[in-house]
Amino acid sequence: MAPPAEVLAVRGLSKTFPGVRALDDVDLTLHAGEVHALIGENGAGKSTLIKLLTGVYRPDAGEITFQGAEVSFATPLEAQKAGISTIYQEVNLIPLLSVARNLFLGREPRNRFGVLDIARMNSEAEEVLRGYGVRVDVRRPLRTLGVGAQQMVALARAVATDARIVIMDEPTSSLEPREVETLFSVIRGLRDAGIAVVYVSHRLDELYAVCSTVTVLRDGRRVHHGSLAELGRLDLVSTMLGRDLGEVRAEGLTKFSGDHQATDSEPVLEAHELTVPHRLHGVSVSIRPGEVVGLGGLLGSGRTETAKAISGALPVRSGRVTVAGVPLRGGSAAAAIRAGVSLLPEDRKSEGIVPGLSVRENIALAVLPRLSRFGLVSEARVDSVVDTFVTRLRIKASSPHQKVGELSGGNQQKVLLARWLAMNPKVLLLDEPTRGIDVGAKAEVQKLVDELAADGLGVLLISSDLEELIEGSDRVVVLKDGAVVGELTGDDVTEDKLMRTIAGDTAATAPAAEEVAGDG
Amino acid sequence: MAEATTLRTAPLDRARVLQWLQTYGVYAGVAALLVVNVVITPNFLTAENFRTQAVQVAPVIIVALGMALVIGTEGVDLSVGAVMALAASVTALYLGYGLLPALLAVALFAAAVGLANGALVALVGVQPIVATLALMVGGRGIALVLLPQLEDLRNPALASLGSGDVLGVPYLILIAAVLALLVAFTVRRTTFGRQLLAIGDSRPAAQLAGLPVRRVLIIVYVVCALLAAVAGVLATARLQASDPTSLGNLMELSAITAVVVGGTPLTGGRVNIAGTVAGAVLIQLLTATLIKHDLPPSWTQIAQAVVIVAAVYAARGRGRR
Amino acid sequence: MQRTTHRPRLLARPGLVALAAAVALTASACAKSEDDASKDTKSPAAAGAEQKVVTPKPGSKSCTVDAYGGEKLDLKGATVGFSQSEKEANPFRIAETQSIKDEAKKRGVKLLTANAQSQFSKQISDVQDLLAKGADLLVIAPLNSDGWDPVLQAAAAKKVPIVTIDRKINATACKDYVSFIASDFVEQGRRAADQMIEATGGKGEVAILLGAAGNNVTTERTKGFKERVAEKAPDLKVVFEQTGDFAREKGQQVTEQLIQSKPGIKGIYAENDEMGLGAVAALKGAGKKAGDIKIVTVDGTRNAVQGIVDGWISGVIESNPRFGPLAFQTLDTFTKGEAVPQDIIIQDGAYSTDNAKSEIGKAY
Repeated sequence: MAPPAEVLAVRGLSKTFPGVRALDDVDLTLHAGEVHALIGENGAGKSTLIKLLTGVYRPDAGEITFQGAEVSFATPLEAQKAGISTIYQEVNLIPLLSVARNLFLGREPRNRFGVLDIARMNSEAEEVLRGYGVRVDVRRPLRTLGVGAQQMVALARAVATDARIVIMDEPTSSLEPREVETLFSVIRGLRDAGIAVVYVSHRLDELYAVCSTVTVLRDGRRVHHGSLAELGRLDLVSTMLGRDLGEVRAEGLTKFSGDHQATDSEPVLEAHELTVPHRLHGVSVSIRPGEVVGLGGLLGSGRTETAKAISGALPVRSGRVTVAGVPLRGGSAAAAIRAGVSLLPEDRKSEGIVPGLSVRENIALAVLPRLSRFGLVSEARVDSVVDTFVTRLRIKASSPHQKVGELSGGNQQKVLLARWLAMNPKVLLLDEPTRGIDVGAKAEVQKLVDELAADGLGVLLISSDLEELIEGSDRVVVLKDGAVVGELTGDDVTEDKLMRTIAGDTAATAPAAEEVAGDG
Repeated sequence: MAEATTLRTAPLDRARVLQWLQTYGVYAGVAALLVVNVVITPNFLTAENFRTQAVQVAPVIIVALGMALVIGTEGVDLSVGAVMALAASVTALYLGYGLLPALLAVALFAAAVGLANGALVALVGVQPIVATLALMVGGRGIALVLLPQLEDLRNPALASLGSGDVLGVPYLILIAAVLALLVAFTVRRTTFGRQLLAIGDSRPAAQLAGLPVRRVLIIVYVVCALLAAVAGVLATARLQASDPTSLGNLMELSAITAVVVGGTPLTGGRVNIAGTVAGAVLIQLLTATLIKHDLPPSWTQIAQAVVIVAAVYAARGRGRR
Repeated sequence: MQRTTHRPRLLARPGLVALAAAVALTASACAKSEDDASKDTKSPAAAGAEQKVVTPKPGSKSCTVDAYGGEKLDLKGATVGFSQSEKEANPFRIAETQSIKDEAKKRGVKLLTANAQSQFSKQISDVQDLLAKGADLLVIAPLNSDGWDPVLQAAAAKKVPIVTIDRKINATACKDYVSFIASDFVEQGRRAADQMIEATGGKGEVAILLGAAGNNVTTERTKGFKERVAEKAPDLKVVFEQTGDFAREKGQQVTEQLIQSKPGIKGIYAENDEMGLGAVAALKGAGKKAGDIKIVTVDGTRNAVQGIVDGWISGVIESNPRFGPLAFQTLDTFTKGEAVPQDIIIQDGAYSTDNAKSEIGKAY
């Protein structure tokens, strides 16, 4: 049997940015019907490679052969027209246009007068999306959909453009397990149709579930390529990190140490019967000093809303929050922060960092009034706080004056942690603290959370990464549809128990058949 | 980190040129205009001429300072011209009590306008352009109700404010310079300034970081209105007449132009005070050049448009990074 | 990712308006302008309102009730509607409205007034209101020349005669309206040129402070001035023409630039008094003495005439705002069944060093 046709061959690709060798002499070969895992820590060069393939950047050296001919795409549109489609981590569609319009953007069906055929477009869109498990009113603006559903629309759009290669950059970071399954079946469909898929993800389970081959990048170079099945998990991680196998095994897959000192002291935070119309229906959570409480549940179950309601970022209709026994004025983030409650928001880029300001300004942002006198900032005191945390959290920036927007996700997250630790908080609410950050940074963040809890902080941990949630939490409160449906303590804190609770104690039969739609 | 740093570069040379233009273009423009004028304009290189240009641009600079702060919060204040008119009519109305009481009354009125703007933006959540549009129309309306027509003013204290000087430097220029330094200091060195920039860069993040977003926004609009009022009083003092009908007409556009040309992005999060001052000077020199050479007034507008487009182009290059 | 909660916006507006009104009230309640104590009374605009001679435009046709298709009536006891275009915020408009009101009072005519506040759509509805309120005759100071069809049709249906003042309507005279009364702006420019020639001796360089761009007043006052200078004093050169937008501050700024780049300038023709007074302020600021540079302006406001008395201004050509007597006289003649001219030019006065002191009372 002849081997499948080679769709793409990359030879000796290099790209240098001022001060950084982003990609150094990298090769990559893709065959029709191959699902190829592209992995590496943040900064390893994955994004650069993708952007070179899709015409966002031009290579400094090397060649790209696509379907037998050497190509040089000047724009992403050119690459897309040639047959290379990309789905980015952040959905880049147009939020205000309807779902159907987004799906058909640039290739809208027209009637014989050349006028947009809206009825046909809508019905076709509905049909296409049903294949992706998305059942929504396609006439609604895209932004009214949940992130997961939006991601599916982006995927459907990419696939529908007669692609030969589909590149997926962390496609599952906002998807629910059920959606991930749908995604996988779509990917298998693509594979069977002879389309090559490049799959970028930090989630090892997913890689092993769908990918056949793998390329590992590290510091801009290719350090491994070949069959994925022949590479064990630990080998994969150690190749990625460039660490000794023994070391990785010793540390386990997460950096969490397990359980903490289970204190019997009074809770440092008590949230009682928090209710937010349509979102939360009487959620109660309490956290003791030194305890990490996990918040489990599916996308849209109210985890983020709970954290936001506690931190005052989301006004509640009823319910109360007390910090160390003192009631908190609701609806005010500033009041919560003063009382010692800090929120690391899920949407790091738009709600966390202030991208145009420097690392220094970002770290000092919340604590600034304490470092000022009569409204004048004491630069020396700011410097000392910033130095302390840059060192302690190992924040990697060219200087404290580098813009935070230019840092990698992991370092951005550390900057945010530093911002809160500088405030000396009592409770940390961590909403997806390791999402979209590389394995190394992830481990550091996890370790840090452990240390903070050991220091007596109360931590609320929200994570879609079950491993992280299970290993990181002393106790897991499980939410479903905005209400608490169970709590796991002690030895019950296991993936299996968690899934059962989420699914409503009938996990053995079938996962809850929820629609992927609406306000997920 | 490579991936993040990468984004900075596309075609290297062009990006560098744009970056340079964005940062220093306005100063280069001022320098170029100075050189051109020295060569082609008779009597340009005289103290009186520079004095004239500085005196004329001083009110624009003062208004632009406030505008720069507002734009730094990702807002805009269209009511500055109306506030100047209001300041003019209130000055006339209360000058009978003496200059200081009149100034106090002006400050109260301006603060009220700023408070209304700030409240609409910060508390009610109205878009700045809409909120301040209301007072752009309403403010001049109130000014005209208070003083229906131009009135000559003969108060000697006011007159000396408009035309007096210290060691040959007119008060107007001194006041503008002091205010520029004060605003620059506030932006760089105070908690308020840092918070302002953070709010302008990412309001949701600032909110979640516990910053007093509403308070900062309200203060910014109040400060902007107060600065506009100062400009209105100075222009009135110079004219020795209160002219609420036409004083400050289109001032909002001049101020926004100065700010944008000076390298402060309309998207907020950054405030360039030196650039703003230079931007105002650039437009002033441009206008002066065209007037002195008796070119048709429409040319002035076209030239301003060209400068704005160039500035926005340079800013865009930076924004895309 | 906008997370602002949008509370009802409508709430804000009435609140704002109420606030503004309150502010305006309280502000004027305790105000004390520097004139309050000293000044007696600002003489009403009509102080100099003497009857102006009707000068039918040469070759102008006339119009009668029969030709127009209306009915005779007695002006006394009739209702006249007056629609003003701009806010009475400048001396010209104030004097114009005052003159109409005074004349109506004098003649015992019932007068309805409306002010369009510079909004054309408001003026159209103003006039329709006036018709609805029972105006038998209309005097209109139009904001625009075009767009009057709906009003003209409504007026024609009721057979209401219309006289327009200061600006013309683009429509057929003696069919859509009866007469148009205005100053001759070109002639004002010519007379200003005469004054300038006299003041400068007909030699040297002069500058023009233009009015707002794209305004027929600006164009015509410029045209008349240049024509007359070219014809009578070819040695007088117009070397500088920049707009001052009819505003004092702008006139000041432009003049400041002018006297620096052209120190040898001998005269400045300002196309309205405000810019001329701005020029005076600029000259004072530059340390010039009264009379160093000759200034001629057009309009005839009190401030400008005072400028002549003080020696800063050489001459002021009046643009007569007192349309009242002429408008009512025209309506009276017309409704009696006699013929009236379709184009009537109001006679403008002039002030110079000879008569400024004695006639300042006439200025508005």
